[in-house]
Amino acid sequence: MTTRRVTAEVAGTVWKLAVAVGDQVAVDDPLIVIECMKMEIPAASPWAGKVAAIHVAEGGLIEEGQLLVELET
Amino acid sequence: MSSLKPEDVAKPAPAETAPDDWSPEIAELRRRQTAALEMGGADKVAIQRDKGKGTVRERIAGLLDDGSFHEIGSIAGSAQYGSNGELTDFTPANCVIGRGRIDGRTVVVAGDDFTVRGGAADAAIPEKQVQAELMANELRLPLIRLIDGTGGGGSVKTLDAPGGFTYVPANPAWNWVTANMTTVPVVCLGLGPVAGLGAARLVSGHYTLLLRDQGFMFAAGPAIVSALGRPVTKEELGGAMVHARSGAVDDVAEDEADALGKARRFLSYLPSSVDGLPPRAEPTDPADRTDPWLDGAVPRNRRKVYDMRRIVRSLMDEGSFFEIGKYWGRASITGLARLDGWPVAVIASDPMVYGGGWTADTADKLNRFIELAETFHLPVVHLVDIPGALIGIEAEKAGTIRHAARALASVYQATVPWCSIVVRKAFGVAGAAMSNHTRFRYRYAWPSGDWGSLPIEGGIEAAYKSQLEASDDPVALRAEIEGRLNAVRSPFRTAERFGVEEIIAPSETRPILCEFANLAAPLRKPGRVGFGFRP
Repeated sequence: MTTRRVTAEVAGTVWKLAVAVGDQVAVDDPLIVIECMKMEIPAASPWAGKVAAIHVAEGGLIEEGQLLVELET
Repeated sequence: MSSLKPEDVAKPAPAETAPDDWSPEIAELRRRQTAALEMGGADKVAIQRDKGKGTVRERIAGLLDDGSFHEIGSIAGSAQYGSNGELTDFTPANCVIGRGRIDGRTVVVAGDDFTVRGGAADAAIPEKQVQAELMANELRLPLIRLIDGTGGGGSVKTLDAPGGFTYVPANPAWNWVTANMTTVPVVCLGLGPVAGLGAARLVSGHYTLLLRDQGFMFAAGPAIVSALGRPVTKEELGGAMVHARSGAVDDVAEDEADALGKARRFLSYLPSSVDGLPPRAEPTDPADRTDPWLDGAVPRNRRKVYDMRRIVRSLMDEGSFFEIGKYWGRASITGLARLDGWPVAVIASDPMVYGGGWTADTADKLNRFIELAETFHLPVVHLVDIPGALIGIEAEKAGTIRHAARALASVYQATVPWCSIVVRKAFGVAGAAMSNHTRFRYRYAWPSGDWGSLPIEGGIEAAYKSQLEASDDPVALRAEIEGRLNAVRSPFRTAERFGVEEIIAPSETRPILCEFANLAAPLRKPGRVGFGFRP
């Protein structure tokens, strides 16, 4: 089992958490939806696995490259 | 290093027994050429292989059409002679140059040999690299640099030689490196650790890449940087992804075969020099092909994003899209493709990255890409979804507006045929940069088109500030104003005024683009262009 880090590809605000800790996700499933330039931009999962930790909360500001979610794969 | 066996050593023949022809010299030439093929010697070649790397000669063979390599300077190197003047030892120079063919078209290749002193300066014959640059320039042939080592850069070891001295530095061949960027396609593959001059040679090309896990690039390597303070690894300092994201290189290759394949593919879209035109490939995909999927590709909900790369792949000749610069300046996708066989330069906004808004590095990437299109006479297709230049404190600190203005200058200076398809948004200065509006507006919009100086969503607060402040119920007033403005937002109202030239069903776009490529083809003009490509 490997822990993998999913980071933000864009800066913005956390619009919505699309998963909860413990959820199983497939490749390309949205994990977090980031509001940026008035758009809802999904941070999609690069891997299949289980959500181990979520490091942001709805409404929070995020920077490019910030850690969003850790996955166990 | 090649140790020559005693029986191999050519002894000068006494005059009275000399043959009538030159066969001893021809044999000696062959013997020296064979020795050069051993590169840095079996042990050094084994080290290269153990790292998972090919030798310079394997790389050249993999790059070029079979058997087409014609080497220049094959026996240049450092020789040692015995007391009778006989050659006892020979090490080739650590740069292999020559001509060969890619898909039947002649190119120049210059490859560093890491097995000879790690490609370092003291084992180089700099004139070989100069001649490779000149050969490409005078013969108007594409140049491929296979870079692995510093390849002619500095080493303090040169001070330690007999009669050592220091010198004011100059960049060898740089006038030709610079001239070639406005003359012939230059492809640079970073296949090993590259620093200093080698790094500058690597990035001074039209298509550059680093090999994943093998290619590293730095102004100065980890030993020097770590000595200044915080220790760094070569991966974090100059790994392939570091520079694919920084934009110092255009791409990352997964292995050496992938790197060589990408070089061949990139060149297939380009002429051999600015004096030629991009060659048409045999059309394999019907020009009148329509794709019903496109009619639903853009969501009606303006806040929802979509897959622009899939749209690009649908519109271009099947399998022809070759993306360049995927990991940097990501708000715009750039790449070469074909339409009805004709090579074109494609720019397409990516709504997944800042909604397609121009970041400073996106503008830099566009500038570089438009210069490439202009230099090699590639018509441009621009799929537009640009909400503007990126706004906010970070964007201002990055100097986004000047970078955007530079890209804008490239758009307005470009003379290649240019077609824009407004896929969704076009707002502000960056949205207006979809094309040079003073030229014939070869432009179409999809029904999802949405444009203006400012998007309604953000513009109301600014434009109706005093009314909203004076209102008892600013939320209701804002909603009322937004409703009023949205009612006239339809692209048909713009088309009534001929503010957009034509609205089309997305599924009908490919036939229109293929017509563009065919109309553009005879308009392409060979020759050196008005503004030259720079790294």
